[in-house]
Amino acid sequence: VTTPTILLVEDNPDDEALTLRAFKRSNIRNEIAVVRDGAEALTYLFPDDGDTPCPALILLDLNLPKIGGLEVLRRMRADARTALIPVVVLTSSKLEEDILDSYRNGANAYVRKPVKFSDFTQTVNALGVFWLLMNEPVPSHEPEVGIEIGHS
Amino acid sequence: MPTSLAPPADATFVALLEAVPDAMVCIAADGRVVLVNAEAERLFGYKREELIGQPVEILVPEGSRAGYLAGFLADPRHRPMGADGPFAGRRHDASTFPAEISLSAIDTGAGIMVTAAIRDITAQLRLGELEHSSQSLDSFIYSVSHDLRAPLRALSGYSGALLEDYGESLGEEGREYAERIVAASEQMARLIDYLVQVSRISRAELHLEPVDIGEEAARIAAELQSGEPDRSARFVIARPVLALADRRLIRTVLENLLGNAWKFTSGRDDTTIEFGTAPGGDASVCYYVRDNGVGFDPQYSGKLFQPFQRLHPAHDFPGTGTGLATVRQIVELHGGRTWAEGAVGAGATFCFTLDGKESA
Repeated sequence: VTTPTILLVEDNPDDEALTLRAFKRSNIRNEIAVVRDGAEALTYLFPDDGDTPCPALILLDLNLPKIGGLEVLRRMRADARTALIPVVVLTSSKLEEDILDSYRNGANAYVRKPVKFSDFTQTVNALGVFWLLMNEPVPSHEPEVGIEIGHS
Repeated sequence: MPTSLAPPADATFVALLEAVPDAMVCIAADGRVVLVNAEAERLFGYKREELIGQPVEILVPEGSRAGYLAGFLADPRHRPMGADGPFAGRRHDASTFPAEISLSAIDTGAGIMVTAAIRDITAQLRLGELEHSSQSLDSFIYSVSHDLRAPLRALSGYSGALLEDYGESLGEEGREYAERIVAASEQMARLIDYLVQVSRISRAELHLEPVDIGEEAARIAAELQSGEPDRSARFVIARPVLALADRRLIRTVLENLLGNAWKFTSGRDDTTIEFGTAPGGDASVCYYVRDNGVGFDPQYSGKLFQPFQRLHPAHDFPGTGTGLATVRQIVELHGGRTWAEGAVGAGATFCFTLDGKESA
């Protein structure tokens, strides 16, 4: 059994290094794939050879080169293969419109990157513990057709 | 008395012309100035005898608005102020100024006379520019503060990581240096937060409503006490104290003032902190927060409300030195003012009003 992957979408190399270090410190051993802009994120999620990897968690920055985080989120949610993957928006923006737009486009959580080192480490640790240990993941063999809705 | 060539102006008309606050220039159908008022003399820097009989073109920059007067004469409908867009006026010394004009045609019996009212709009334009630049300054501050956080996170992050991962090999002095970087970056983060707060408050729209600020003060006092349950302190809070204020912003004012009172009495075992009202002078009432803490040297009371000013060393009383500046900003946004009274070792009283500034 392979441990599920975390996808980190982050263009700032310092934030990337600090996030990876915090995960390592939290004893989270999942493989962490890093992509550095929105276009790379979409190529990773929808590769040409067709086999969509299914990360257990996506940490998504909003302010990204080429294609922004919100657009990545929008396209993910519009595609059945990635519609249900938990996405945590991890950004330094606290603009109300960014928060609203993220939720409207299907983000599962919105977390601000703390400036203070100890807060940052704790935040990443808490995210890892919650989403990888406490949270029940999306079943990997989801019925593809004939989903029954409701319990009448 | 205005001099005129033709037509002869009657006394009522001349008196009216002088009473108009705008510069008035009357022009005959041949384009020559026949009558001006005192404001026109002042605005253009000519004596009236220098203007009468001159072609009106001497009052506009060369080549500007050529044919405008002829166009008006061909279709002499009244043009209200500003309707034909901005003009430029030319003074005697050849300097120019932005202007709005309005034109009317008067049939004098001896032919059509055009009266032009000219208004210098330099001040309005300047005000508009100021408002615009103040808005763009606010959004500039907002975006810069946002961008500053990323490198700051790296500063705090790497120095923190250095301490955690290599603290042993750094040695005592090395660790202290790294700790200073951590502390300095946290201080800078607080300063940036303050900048963002200032720009947010200055862009805030006031939602004025009746607020019992005595009740707000009591709630904040209870929070302060429960944060340090071992401290014995007496709060004397007047209630109800109704004020017309923005609830969220006035709470920030009270949090800062009561928080300061709490902080600067921390060494005492007989802390007394009061919130109440007093006659307001130019305002309807003044609100005050009084404490029996360390006080301050009154010769520096003017500096208290300036951002990043601290009268006490940070290791005695931690803080960013921005609380009272925020208080002043919010109070002034409400149209009130702030002041402080105190002496070293004799406690401090901070007062604010929420109105009266305009009437003062």
